[in-house]
Amino acid sequence: MVPQLSWYLALSAVLFTIGVVGVMIKRNVISMFMCIELMLNAVNLTFVAFSSFFRDVTGQLFVFIVMTVAAAEAAVGLGIIITIFRSRESLDVDDESVLKL
Amino acid sequence: MLALLFILFAGMAVGCAISMVAQRNPLYSAISLIGVFLALACLYVTLGAPFIAAVQVIVYAGAIMVLVVFVIMLLNVEEEDRPMRLRSLTPIAVGLAAALFAETAFIIFFVHWSPATPTASVSDVGLTSSIGAGLFTTYLLPFEVTSILLLMAIVGAMTLASRAGLLPREAVVVPGYQVLAREVLDPRTTPDLTPIVARSTGEVEEALGVEEAPQITDES
Repeated sequence: MVPQLSWYLALSAVLFTIGVVGVMIKRNVISMFMCIELMLNAVNLTFVAFSSFFRDVTGQLFVFIVMTVAAAEAAVGLGIIITIFRSRESLDVDDESVLKL
Repeated sequence: MLALLFILFAGMAVGCAISMVAQRNPLYSAISLIGVFLALACLYVTLGAPFIAAVQVIVYAGAIMVLVVFVIMLLNVEEEDRPMRLRSLTPIAVGLAAALFAETAFIIFFVHWSPATPTASVSDVGLTSSIGAGLFTTYLLPFEVTSILLLMAIVGAMTLASRAGLLPREAVVVPGYQVLAREVLDPRTTPDLTPIVARSTGEVEEALGVEEAPQITDES
């Protein structure tokens, strides 16, 4: 029995949903950041599955670009997190509802 | 065989993802997220995309997660307490979850019954050469835009890191009367523990007998 395209799409949907749930129930900024990474990976799985089943390399190129965006997001996001931690001494999102430093 | 591998790695990915959300210690959830990335890399191999699988392991599980773990340890994150809030939204959440599951089931069964059933096959789609050819011919503009994005990320990260010093916010530098060791002000003198009492740069120059006071940098 060969895995169908729908299997991969269902797995991707499940992973994306877990990431959304994590963003909603987590209160730590770094944990929410990791849940966003999980959502990006779920979308990447969809891209690769479609690329493989339709034999078109475009999907994998999009995955490549999404990974670059994720790396840039990690650099800038973690820099923002460190700056916020320096001024607030906390990583709880409820303490950071005001953006003014 | 492929179905068994899919079930194995999909189970590993979903289990690690649930563990990541359920963990309260951010370090443990980071390690679970690395497990998700590795399982997804194995799934990419079964999908015939070895290049993306390698990049997944190197960039995601290697670079990005090392950065995240580094920040977690740098900031000494404690375990989060989770008081129950938004309890009133529970029925809405249950309803939305039911809708999502209905959509997923619809996708699964509808795609099963659709006439076109593409199958995975061995081809050169996922190989490095085809990806490179696509990246440098058809999709050259997104590639260059991506490089600009990375440059902006570098500049932004450096700006964020250098804007706030290590001094806490309530620290103030008091101008005026300061007592400094003589060797701090003039490294050319032999070590001399006699302190210099000065109110301004001119007084320091007079006490040291130099024409040009050495550069003194403070953290203000």
